[in-house]
Amino acid sequence: MKNILLVCAAGMSTSMLVNKMEEAAKGSEEEIKINATSGGDLEKYVQDADVLLLGPQVSYLKGDYQKKYDSIPVEVINSLDYGTMNGQKVLDWALDLIESK
Amino acid sequence: MSSRSEAFQAKLQRVSGKIGENRYLKSVSEGLLLALPVIIIGALSTLIANINITAYQDFITETGLKGVLNLPAQVTISLIALYAVFCIAYKLTTFYKQDGVVAGIIALISFFVLTPFLVVDDATTIPVEFLGAQGLFVAIIVGLLSARLYVFIVESGWAIKMPPGVPPTVEKTFAGLVPGILIVILFTIISGLFKLTSFESAHEFVYSFVQAPLQNIGGGFWSMIVLILVVHTLWLFGIHGTLAILPILYGVWIPLGLENLDAIAAGNAPENIVNTGFLAIAIIIGGAGATLSLSILLTFFAKSKRYKTLGKLAIVPGIFNINEPMIFGLPIVLNPYLAIPFILAPLVNGIISYTLMNLGVFPLVNGLHMPVGTPVFVNSILAGSVMLILLQAILIVINIFIYWPFFKIIDKKALDEETTTADA
Repeated sequence: MKNILLVCAAGMSTSMLVNKMEEAAKGSEEEIKINATSGGDLEKYVQDADVLLLGPQVSYLKGDYQKKYDSIPVEVINSLDYGTMNGQKVLDWALDLIESK
Repeated sequence: MSSRSEAFQAKLQRVSGKIGENRYLKSVSEGLLLALPVIIIGALSTLIANINITAYQDFITETGLKGVLNLPAQVTISLIALYAVFCIAYKLTTFYKQDGVVAGIIALISFFVLTPFLVVDDATTIPVEFLGAQGLFVAIIVGLLSARLYVFIVESGWAIKMPPGVPPTVEKTFAGLVPGILIVILFTIISGLFKLTSFESAHEFVYSFVQAPLQNIGGGFWSMIVLILVVHTLWLFGIHGTLAILPILYGVWIPLGLENLDAIAAGNAPENIVNTGFLAIAIIIGGAGATLSLSILLTFFAKSKRYKTLGKLAIVPGIFNINEPMIFGLPIVLNPYLAIPFILAPLVNGIISYTLMNLGVFPLVNGLHMPVGTPVFVNSILAGSVMLILLQAILIVINIFIYWPFFKIIDKKALDEETTTADA
């Protein structure tokens, strides 16, 4: 199973993207779990995550998180894909990140 | 994007990130958010007790129902400082991975130690004056200070060490004791020292020298203008502007709103035009940049396929005041065409709303802090008046006119691009 974790300010707009990504993940053979969280609750979820994706509005946290969670890839989602809620593209990219770890 | 503007953007993000991620400021804003259910319960009670229909008001006053309906407000909003001091201390302690509940209780004791008790006709009473919005700054200071001391003392290992074999639960009970005693002694000394001064209590001092001046400055017209400019400039660089300055915003604007709720619960008129409810209802309709208007334009008037699709995607979350699809998908970030209306629309909203409320044309908002995702128009009702729906509707129309010319430019550009690609 693969576990993707998204984080943004309040977890609101990322949860929209999560829905789109889950739709895209239905076609996949593997079981993929996708979660969205706000910065405050991150600690609870991050242990199980295989990759941590940041919303573009909190990209300034990337450095801190990379240091803190150095066992998993930490990246900022492309802002155009984020804005247009391109679930398929973000999902593929996230899976690539897990592969190339 | 040139490398120069990229470097500038990175620098801006680091600075605003530092403010937004500061542990103390964050504990204040997250602590107040933790107390939000308390505030909402109180606000709903005030709302129901104050529905402005004469027959209804006569009925509930005569039957004595009004007192009952106001009861939840009296034990929530009018005592908000008690909830806040616990929640803030809890949050800060949790950041340091220590027991937040113990620290929260110690903070609550410390807060009471600073609060003057009164003896009236042989009965000892606690005046609620400083337990509500007026005591919020003392709550913030005590919450942060006592929690930080707690963490310091525990980390220094001054806690009572139990001999081996003592059950961990027992050890835990005693662990809070040493920091608790030390912190309470410290605040008792502070309280005693204030009694010697002409202020008589720490509350009087903090209210007249810190809270009132800060609120006067922060709640004024020009602070509102500066705040709108800062938030939206940050957003134009892709930074969550409201989030970055949230601690400062919440530390001043939430107490201002609570004063309004407190006044209404006491049967008085609210006085603070500017507060977080005002920001949500009358300035950033649909999210930062008041973009609900722009998503309406995209959905119904866009000729290009690209923007029409985006409009349909963005309009529903926009009604719930979530506009990341617009900000990053349009995008508005670093978009020279949209920078002007993105700043101008909320600025115009702020100026119009402030002026009209100041003149008494529209009622002031009741000060309730709107939870993220409260839809447009519904937030007007929660803010205490259906009249505010009219104000919001007027502002949305004005915003549509502000965005219109800029929307035409980008839409035409996108349409040209679409036809050329189709031809090629």
